[in-house]
Amino acid sequence: MDCCQNKTPWYKKLTSTLLGTGNCHGEVNQNTKGLEKIALIGSPNVGKSVLFNSLTGAYVTVSNYPGTTVEVSRGKGKIGNKEYEIIDTPGMYSLMCITDEEKVTKDLLLKERPKVVLHVIDSKNIQRMLPLTFQLIEGGIPVILVLNIMDEAERMGLKIDVKGLEKELGIPVVSTIAALNKGIDTLRERVEKYAKIA
Amino acid sequence: MQKSLNLTYDEIIENSINEIIKCLKAEYVLSKRSIALLLLQGDTDMMESVKKNEGSSFVKISDIVNEVKKHYDKPLNYIVSLNRQKRVEEITDKYVKKTDKSENNITDLISRITMNPITGIPILLLVLYFGLYKFVGEFGAGTIVDFLEADIFEAYINPWVNNLVTAYIPWHWLQELIAREYGIVTLGIRYAVAIILPIVGTFFIAFSIIEDTGYLPRLALLVDRIFKKIGLNGRAVIPMTLGFGCDTMATMVSRTLETKRERVIATLLLALAIPCSAQLGVIVALLSGQSVALIVWVVFVALVFLFIGFLTSKLMPGSKPSFYMEVPPLRLPKLSNVLVKTYTRIQWYFVEILPLFIVASVLIWFGNLTGLFDFVISLMEPLVNFVGLPDEAAEAFLFGFFRRDYGAAGLYDLQKAGALSPRQLAVAASTLTLFVPCIAQFSMTIKERGTKAAIAMAAFIFPFAFVAGFVLNWVLVTFKVLP
Repeated sequence: MDCCQNKTPWYKKLTSTLLGTGNCHGEVNQNTKGLEKIALIGSPNVGKSVLFNSLTGAYVTVSNYPGTTVEVSRGKGKIGNKEYEIIDTPGMYSLMCITDEEKVTKDLLLKERPKVVLHVIDSKNIQRMLPLTFQLIEGGIPVILVLNIMDEAERMGLKIDVKGLEKELGIPVVSTIAALNKGIDTLRERVEKYAKIA
Repeated sequence: MQKSLNLTYDEIIENSINEIIKCLKAEYVLSKRSIALLLLQGDTDMMESVKKNEGSSFVKISDIVNEVKKHYDKPLNYIVSLNRQKRVEEITDKYVKKTDKSENNITDLISRITMNPITGIPILLLVLYFGLYKFVGEFGAGTIVDFLEADIFEAYINPWVNNLVTAYIPWHWLQELIAREYGIVTLGIRYAVAIILPIVGTFFIAFSIIEDTGYLPRLALLVDRIFKKIGLNGRAVIPMTLGFGCDTMATMVSRTLETKRERVIATLLLALAIPCSAQLGVIVALLSGQSVALIVWVVFVALVFLFIGFLTSKLMPGSKPSFYMEVPPLRLPKLSNVLVKTYTRIQWYFVEILPLFIVASVLIWFGNLTGLFDFVISLMEPLVNFVGLPDEAAEAFLFGFFRRDYGAAGLYDLQKAGALSPRQLAVAASTLTLFVPCIAQFSMTIKERGTKAAIAMAAFIFPFAFVAGFVLNWVLVTFKVLP
């Protein structure tokens, strides 16, 4: 694995390995110094980590329950011809946060100023998740809305007019099924274009 | 760029937003409009940041916010959110079409029966029986461990290493370091590869499958009521069940709990009464021949869990948790994800434990050579005798200091030698389960909860484990439950 390759002295690495406090608990931390950032944010259990894995080619733990990711993971991902730092974050419901791990994500948004923010939502629950998209748009954050888990939404009989939504919201909207690797190429293209103007 | 989203609030709020924006002079990452909204909603982080950046005009901003509050009988946060939600509904009505296709009746049904107490508890027992007892306990800790231990290590590797060092290494101390009773290869690597690896491996496979189906959040709903009694809400099921995988990981995940009080209770319970996968597997294997001892162990540890949870929730100040959790759909686990996840977990686990096991072997070797080991064991002997165990068990407890699983593996060796009666097995397994968290978990507790809390917990757990063991032994002897 690529983790633990940061510039920590060897004895610190050794002790953290011996004590089991290294950051290898399912998180990834590649050296991404100086790259522009793309952050994946959204409610818990919408597939941010799956997207992270497919954008970076790394592996962070993925499960079917909210709260699998509790720490930020960073990895390198090539989009178009440019390398970016892709950031996977713990789930967040709203800009007004309740738990510690939500605050981690909010701080990251405010302090690291990602070039593009991908707001990943579960298409089935679009009504419940759009308010955060609104907050991000209001905040003037360069956001792309990713309608993930489209397959389950379609199976429930939901039909989402992606083009119409895009027009109304004024931001790029992409539908994906990250677990089956569908829609990722389109997402990459949109991110590439959006990063140029954002 | 396209036109941007048109999202307006009612007049009073819009006016106040404009007024607040006028007061904001500093530079912010977020737009001033959204800062104004966060201030109206009462976001404490934003208030602090604005207070720091704006100085005196913060008072004016507070006045504006308070003035707006007077116009509504509900909190502003609610009003603003309601406004947004209305706009969301307008948009979704326009662009999201719902055709009624109510298929997936079977999934729905399964989902409901896992959450209903009457059907849910038998399902939980089935999951535990097949996933844990059959697959991890009998297959992993039985079949595979026997094969690796007896057919590989004891038949080939150990004799081979022993002969090799006797033939080529003239120094007794070096022979002992590598081979024989406490050698790096014959003890450290054997424990890690032949006992722990198959148990942890099978556990992680079972666990990954359970995780990916979406069963855990349903379990959370099922036990929410019991958990409330011990000061936790159903959400705490996830760190608790993760604890059965690795308590160190679980301690870290406990930060998803909402209140500090819950986090402290969860960390304590993890350190005290949740055995990790390696320990669990070895204990299940250890007791699998003795069903009464196994039941005694399960009931006793469960009682301790509930009792201590109940006690801490009574003693610790703080509000009762409310429960809200997303229940994801039941899904068929993807084989590739299960495999990759199991692989990364085993890899992580193994990379972490192998050096530790080797270090432990070296320490034990050193202690043995200098007589320090015997001295510490002689100190431990009265303690293990106190809970009704023979002198030899002291060694296993000493191993337990290094890692939970190492200690349990030591007991496994003892049991195979026939040194323990069923009652002693039950008592030893229970005491060892409660006994100190491993070094890794302890250092994670320090990291997450602070040094003071971690030391306080350890200081409580150590004597408590032995007193509890003593009580259990006394009860078992008095009521003649186990011979």
